[in-house]
Amino acid sequence: MTTLPSGPPTRVPPGEKATWQQRRTDFGLARFSGVYVAVALIIAYLLTVPVFRSVDVARVIASSQAITGILTLGLMTALICGVFDVSIAANMSFAASFVGWLQSVHDVDWVLAVASTLLVGGLIGVVNAVIVTRWHVEAVIGTLGTMSILAALSFLLVRGEDIYDGIDETFKSVGSATVLTVPVSVYYLIALAAVLYVVLEHTPLGRYFYAIGANSEACRLAGIKIVRYQWIGLIISGVVASLAGVLYTMQQGAASFGAGDPFLLPAFAAAFLGSTQIKPGRFNVIGTLVAIYLLAIGVKGLQLQFPGNPWISDLFNGIALILAVGLSQRALRRRARR
Amino acid sequence: MTPAGGSPATAVDSPDALAIQQLSKTFGGTRALRQVDLDIRPGEVHALVGQNGSGKSTLIKVLAGFHTPDPGCAATVSGEPLRLGDAADSHRAGLRFVHQDLGLVGQLGAVENLSLGFGYSRTPLGLIDWREHETLAKEAIRSFGHDFDVREPVANLSVVEQTVVAIARALQGAETAVSVLVLDEPTSAMPAPDVEHLLDLVTKVRARGTAVLYVSHRLGEIFRIADRVTVLRDGAALGPWPVADLTRRDIVEKMTNIAQVDDVLNATNTDTDTDTNAESAAEVVLDLIGVGGHTVSGLDLQVRKGELLGVAGIAGSGREELCDLVFGGKARTGQITVGSRWLPPGRPDQSVRQGLALVPADRLRRGVIRDLSVRENLTLPSLRTLLRFLLVRRNAERRTAQAWIERLGVKTPGLEAGVETLSGGNQQKVVLAKCLMIEPDVLLLDEPTQGVDVAAKADIHRQIARYSEAGGTVLVCSSDNEELESLCRRVLVLRNGEVVAELLGPDVNLRRLTEESLGTESAVPDRKDAR
Repeated sequence: MTTLPSGPPTRVPPGEKATWQQRRTDFGLARFSGVYVAVALIIAYLLTVPVFRSVDVARVIASSQAITGILTLGLMTALICGVFDVSIAANMSFAASFVGWLQSVHDVDWVLAVASTLLVGGLIGVVNAVIVTRWHVEAVIGTLGTMSILAALSFLLVRGEDIYDGIDETFKSVGSATVLTVPVSVYYLIALAAVLYVVLEHTPLGRYFYAIGANSEACRLAGIKIVRYQWIGLIISGVVASLAGVLYTMQQGAASFGAGDPFLLPAFAAAFLGSTQIKPGRFNVIGTLVAIYLLAIGVKGLQLQFPGNPWISDLFNGIALILAVGLSQRALRRRARR
Repeated sequence: MTPAGGSPATAVDSPDALAIQQLSKTFGGTRALRQVDLDIRPGEVHALVGQNGSGKSTLIKVLAGFHTPDPGCAATVSGEPLRLGDAADSHRAGLRFVHQDLGLVGQLGAVENLSLGFGYSRTPLGLIDWREHETLAKEAIRSFGHDFDVREPVANLSVVEQTVVAIARALQGAETAVSVLVLDEPTSAMPAPDVEHLLDLVTKVRARGTAVLYVSHRLGEIFRIADRVTVLRDGAALGPWPVADLTRRDIVEKMTNIAQVDDVLNATNTDTDTDTNAESAAEVVLDLIGVGGHTVSGLDLQVRKGELLGVAGIAGSGREELCDLVFGGKARTGQITVGSRWLPPGRPDQSVRQGLALVPADRLRRGVIRDLSVRENLTLPSLRTLLRFLLVRRNAERRTAQAWIERLGVKTPGLEAGVETLSGGNQQKVVLAKCLMIEPDVLLLDEPTQGVDVAAKADIHRQIARYSEAGGTVLVCSSDNEELESLCRRVLVLRNGEVVAELLGPDVNLRRLTEESLGTESAVPDRKDAR
């Protein structure tokens, strides 16, 4: 168990009570540090950056991060199964173009277009699963390959161009409307997070995901069909990534080419930072949400403070990624030490 | 093969190649070595034998400089003092080691493996002169009577060829300076026909005047090539004796410290027949016909309901792969039926569905799942029995896990503690409980108490017995003969992948198990009658 220098030394009686007490000692520091940092950032920016003091800023952060959040949740699912899926952003780019292309070039009804795009996202997951589990290609390498292939396919599909015309108005409003002053995409994020939370924390499927990610050989010997569950994990992450792409096109009202690419780094940073929160040492839904908004607040404040410096977000995301992975490794080591 | 009489072991004038006096080594409170004396004469093959845990590997690690011995010991190499526990000094003095795993880089060829850690000769341009290295490597390999492509990655070579590379590397450069070559269980991973080649190799090394310390489990080999033998028992050295003066039986007695026990036991042998008859009436639950794997071949084996069948054998006998072959952790040939149903090979998931459960030998890599809590580890295979509408019933899961923790006496700070925080014995209890929880018909145990403290071992044995008494069928493979003696009434002994003995009732004792595993009456002929 983690022992922290602060607080009174609690004698830990055996049984369940001990873990509850331990949790309480952890409360302030390890598990919720992200929330505290986020609050501190907000206060600091409110005091120093005048433009930050507006409801619009909050709304922009909330809605733009809804898409990052959805993509990150997809990535997180793959990471939990022990698969390092770097094709996730390319999958999102492809979906964003594909859903626009279907409507604009082929006059497909928007509901059908969305459904087929999600289906294609699932197929990309299947391809990744075949590469990783059948051909035994290291996941980073295999998905790096699919990432490049997807980039090529996106280009062939729309000739590297954005699509503005022929996109259904209802389709646009489904993703860009505001419900009770909150952008609708935030509700999508919350709904997806809720579903994933239940699946990961309360079903055998989720337990198998975590177990396979931690030690697939022990799972195989426990009689679990690990290949089947890795397939399911990658299909989920593929569908969720294409969902992010669809939402992006809805929000923008146009299918921009390569839309998902800038989301790759923030998604990895958020997923790893998330694994230091709420349940340190483990990728988890709530921790990931905390991390996404923490990073978003950080980068938005800097952008507003130093306008006209577009390199800031790249710099911030790079540093955040390295720090996040470093912190997550520390959380793992701590877990192992206690 | 030179018989012992013609060997230079009789040369007494020159100083010993290696002489050690009063070597002790204590780990914590355990004495691994007790005042060991060892002397190896120049140009002799000196065998070192002993059971698991007798201190063989500790002795070798002290010689190689991995461990520092307790103060008060002395050692000389060819008359020169040697600082024990100093790797550089042991290398300088001319001790060379070929460890069990050979320590080669698999993707590199023999040339590169020979040059690694030895230094490179350069061309005038400062580049590595590979042509020169290749010539040297070829010569080195040929001097052992082998001829293979020195640029072929060594992973593609046969085990003997790899051993040639390892020995050539150990001996290279300073042929005159090498006083003692230590070979640590060189044949443990070797198919039986290759052993012959290795023994040839050892005689070639001896012919160069290098003394060889030959560590092995296999008595047959020792009688073939060794001049003298030292026995380690509980960290103390016995002997040395000239091999020619001993029989296999003598060596086993010295290793186990049990003399004449079997005669007494043999007298009482008859009264168990009724017992075994009663057992043979029970139905066969696990039936293996012609099962084969890497080492095991053509294995037939039947376990009856409620039986606790043991499988003994030294490392490399096939004992260590049997559980995996049955359960499907490793690919196999042959037929297996559980109850009356055919069991598909290589399908652990099917094995579980048909009522099998496996406690694997490698606890950390294959047993527990680190980063998951004790509760999650325990319930992983039985989650589906704890569902309500697709969701895991948290409270039921907790209660079940808690009940099993108490039943097996797992010492843990709590259900939510990471399983990696528990001691080895408690982790093993978690693995066992995880298997018992799915109520298997057949429990496969591979080294169930390896690296486990004495108290946990007793707890685990009690659980196994309890499961068996309740009608469960158990197959336990173990290198710990005491464990088999206390658990089983029937034990099959494997040697070179085949069943060489079936021990029943009072014959299941330490002495007989050791004898049969090592092959006292082995098919490998003694040196005396070999040629």
